[in-house]
Formats: sequence, structure tokens, C-alpha cells
Amino acid sequence: MSTDEPSHDAEQHGHEHHEVEGPGYPTPAAMRTESGREKTAYVMAPRVGMENEGPDMIGVVDLDPASDTYSELIDAVEMPNKGDELHHFGWNACSSSCHAEGLSRQYLVVPGQRSSRIHVIDAEDPRNPEMVRVIEPEEVFEHDLSAPHTVHCVPGGKVVISMLGDANGELPGGFLQLDQEDFSIDGRWEADLGEMEMNYDYWYQPRHDVMISSEWAAPNTYYPGFDLEDVEAGDYGDSIHIWSWEDREHVQTLEFGEQGRIPLEVRMSHNPEETQGYVGAALSSNIIRFYETTDGTWDWDVVIDEEPREHEDWDMPVPPLITDILLSLDDQYLFFSNWLHGDVRMYDVSDAGNPRLVDRVWAGGLFGDRQTVQAEEIRGAPQMLQLSRDGERLYWTTSLFSSWDNQFFPDIAEEGSLMLKADVYPDEGRLELDEEFLVDFGDAPGGPARAHEIRWPGGDCTSDVWQ
Amino acid sequence: MTDATTHAVELVRPDGGTETIRVAEGETIVDAAERVDVGLPYGCLYGACGTCAAELLDGEVRHGRSPRALKPSALDAGYVLPCVAAPESDCRLRVGHEIQAEVVGTPWK
Repeated sequence: MSTDEPSHDAEQHGHEHHEVEGPGYPTPAAMRTESGREKTAYVMAPRVGMENEGPDMIGVVDLDPASDTYSELIDAVEMPNKGDELHHFGWNACSSSCHAEGLSRQYLVVPGQRSSRIHVIDAEDPRNPEMVRVIEPEEVFEHDLSAPHTVHCVPGGKVVISMLGDANGELPGGFLQLDQEDFSIDGRWEADLGEMEMNYDYWYQPRHDVMISSEWAAPNTYYPGFDLEDVEAGDYGDSIHIWSWEDREHVQTLEFGEQGRIPLEVRMSHNPEETQGYVGAALSSNIIRFYETTDGTWDWDVVIDEEPREHEDWDMPVPPLITDILLSLDDQYLFFSNWLHGDVRMYDVSDAGNPRLVDRVWAGGLFGDRQTVQAEEIRGAPQMLQLSRDGERLYWTTSLFSSWDNQFFPDIAEEGSLMLKADVYPDEGRLELDEEFLVDFGDAPGGPARAHEIRWPGGDCTSDVWQ
Repeated sequence: MTDATTHAVELVRPDGGTETIRVAEGETIVDAAERVDVGLPYGCLYGACGTCAAELLDGEVRHGRSPRALKPSALDAGYVLPCVAAPESDCRLRVGHEIQAEVVGTPWK
């Protein structure tokens, strides 16, 4: 069956050992092998800071190769306001709620990064998603939080969103908790912020009572654009935070310093037995592995260290800028994007502490030898990644964040960004750009749009957590 | 309109084209533009994000909330945030989506 169906039950996924039926899959392998090919993608498509501004939208892309509209934008859910900056988003339920009877993966929680407005989309019919609820910014500011980012559903009927700032866009941020059924705001998730001031992405492993959060900066620092003065002033993050998932308390800070400036996406192993993961330090352009040690504290190592590169049109060597990373569902391959340099890389991480580069694709950016696909200029460079559940297709978009796009790849503001795809051959450790696939958000209904995070019905490598 | 409690704000576009909106005392320039369907870039609407950054060419505005997205040097250079700025006199304002990046510049370049 197609996993475009929003709900799954025990019979369909060999889940009979559980007493109740819920959304998702009992194990990462079940999701990888039994879910079927993705047929639809939801893509965040902001228009903030575009030449022809308009409301942001959620793009619906046809990924069914048998369809006449394959590789096309087939629908769009337009936001009721302008200025949201749709960025990251998540589901009301995933495999972490596998035991929750009656719950289905049906609602998308879609925050506005700039507006702090939170939208709820009913995707029961995957090809006809509809807006069902809007939480206005004022309701969010009441909890002295702003700038919603990562959305995960969590066991216990809740949705938790990392929030990067306080009600004025300053530090500290925190975590906002919503009710999984009616999407009302419960309040703050955390009982004690401890040393945490900056926030960004988070991942959790409930089996090991741990949550890991990363750091970007205060909204009023990163919102206006990227300024090296702010880095020098210490206004950008260089640490990740270890939390007790049960107690909702900060327990440890791993400070990377210069080796880990701007640690963004956090990806822990999908295998719920594992107590390790990776974070991409964007500015330092290092991949850092973090892991639990025998005494229960956490430690870290730089496992991939990339170098800046000279470019004739730039005054100083330009860092690769690792902006997104992801792990395949079998935890065998790590992919990441170098948004300034212009490549997406594939590493074998079967020996978790010793990643091995197996392949890469260049497409756009400052150094890509390929600058067009189907004669369309690649505006931007590989950025948000999403991998098919079976690990055989890697998709990406080319926009990072409106204000940063406008500094580094200003063409996106006029002509929109792109969604591209590479075929992955996991058995051969190989990656190849699929030149037949191109979604040009420059042609979006209502005018050119950026394109950011990608998800599909039925869950993916960056949404699902196992208990 | 010559009402003393409104000010004329002339918006200068990147192509040199201009249009003038009337902004009431205490009303933000973005709110006034939205009211009459004149497009201006904006994001957070509380002065934190800088998407709406504009250059004040003539006149005076007052920021009703702290323009946190602008560093002192940007304020000194005449940049303002129309999402939290209300005119205190008739004004001319250079607007456009690219001004945000102009304010910050491009690192390493």
C-alpha cells in the first residue's frame, strides 16, 4: 500500500505484538522496508523577502513517477497572512506514538519562523491538505517565546516545538508544548532551562531519557542576516545541550568552541538502542558526533572537518556552510549539504566514529561544476535534504533562510528556488543527480517562492522517533 | 488629505517609481500600506527581523518598539524599520526587498 495513507494499523505493519494500534511503524526497518515509495511531498515555500512578496505557501509536489504531473507542483496551501517565513514543520503523530490508539499521522504543524504564528494543516487527503487552525503570534508571545522551529510529536499526547527567542526576539528561547488533539497551547515544555540560552533543533531518544538541542542565535541576531561581527561578539551558538527527557531538565552542555560554531541540525540514530548522533556545525563546517559515555555523561568528537576555499570573487576563503544533515533509516549513511560550496555529500557511517566519504553531487553554489538542470539556472545550492524511506532517493531544496538567501544567493528573491533529486545506490555507495527531476518554485502559482523543508505523508528520516 | 494627524509617506521603489501613502499619527508605515493594499516587505512585525528595512531619505519617523534588527551603525546610516516606525513628519522612504541584505552586507565578500 502507499504510505500516502495517513493512518496505519497493526495488520499492515506486522505490529500485532502491540495491544493497541497507532500511527507509524514498530521499528525503523519496518518503516524502511514496508512503507512503499513516497508519492507526494510537502514543501515549505516562503515568499518573505521576495521581490514580489505575497503570502507563504505549502507546496504539494507530485513524486509518483507513474503520474502525468510527476515532478510538478500540483497544489499549494496559501497562508492567511504575509511574513510568516515557513521553515521547518512536523506531524501531530509519528512512530513515537506507535502505541496510541486512535491517533493518526494526519495533521501538519507548520510554524512561521518570523511571525511566530503556528498553522495546523489537515492532510487526511494527502493531495488536498487544508488549513484547520491558526495559533496567532500573540498567543505564543504570552509564554514569552518566539521564533518556532523544530516540531516533534512526543509520547503522551503532546507536540513540542523548539523556540529560539523570548517574546522580544531576544534570548533565552525555550520549548512550547501543544496538545496533540486540539492543538491548544499547554505552555512551556521544559521544567528547567539550566544553562540553555540559545536554541535551534532538537532530537530525543525516550528509551534513554535524553533530548539533545542545538544553537543558532537570538532571533534578533540571525533574523536580519548573517553578520560576522555577531560571530565575533559571541552572539552565535557553539554548544549543544543534553536534557533529561523525563524530568524536562537541562543536565549538560557540550561546548564545541571554534570547532563547532553554529551547530544546527541534530540527528540521532534511528535505532532506539543507540545513544549517539551527529550535529552539523554550519559555520565551522564540521560534523560532530556526540555519544553517551560509560558514566552516563555525554562527550563529542569532530568526525568530519571541512576546509574553507578561496574563490576569485570573494575576499576571504569561504566555508562550505553545512546547513542540513540526515541519517538514512538504517543508520548506514549520513548525507549533508554544503550550501555555500554547492555539494551534497554521502558518508558511510557504519563505523559511527569514522565516517567515510563515498560520493557527492555538485549542483549550484559557488563551486559547483554544474550550474543548470534542464537548462534552468540552479539558484542557491543543496540545502534542506529529505531521503526516501528506502534510502534510494535523496531530494533537496536550495533556499536557506530569506535574509541569508538575499545576502548569498540574491537571485532566489527574484526567481525562486528549486527542488532537485539524486538517485542513491546504497549497495554501491553511490549518488547520482537525476536530471529528469526538477521542481522550479519560480513557476509557483501566485509568483516565485523559496523552497525549504520537505516531508511526505507517512513519515520520513527526519520526523520519526522510536520509543 | 491635509488632515494634520496624518503624514504623507512617499515610497521610492528600486526602479525609481514612487507612490505616496497617508499614514495616521501613531500608525506604523507597514500597517498603513497594508490598509491600502500597497505592497511592502515585512516579517515579524515587531522590529526583530529586519525584513522591512528601508532607508529614510527625508523626514522623521519614530520607532514605537525597539528596532532590534538594526545595529547602531545602521540606524546612524538612516535605515529604519517601517513595521514599527510611525512618521512624525511627511517622509520619503526608499523601500524594497534587497535593502535588508544591503544593511548587513555579505560576509567574506
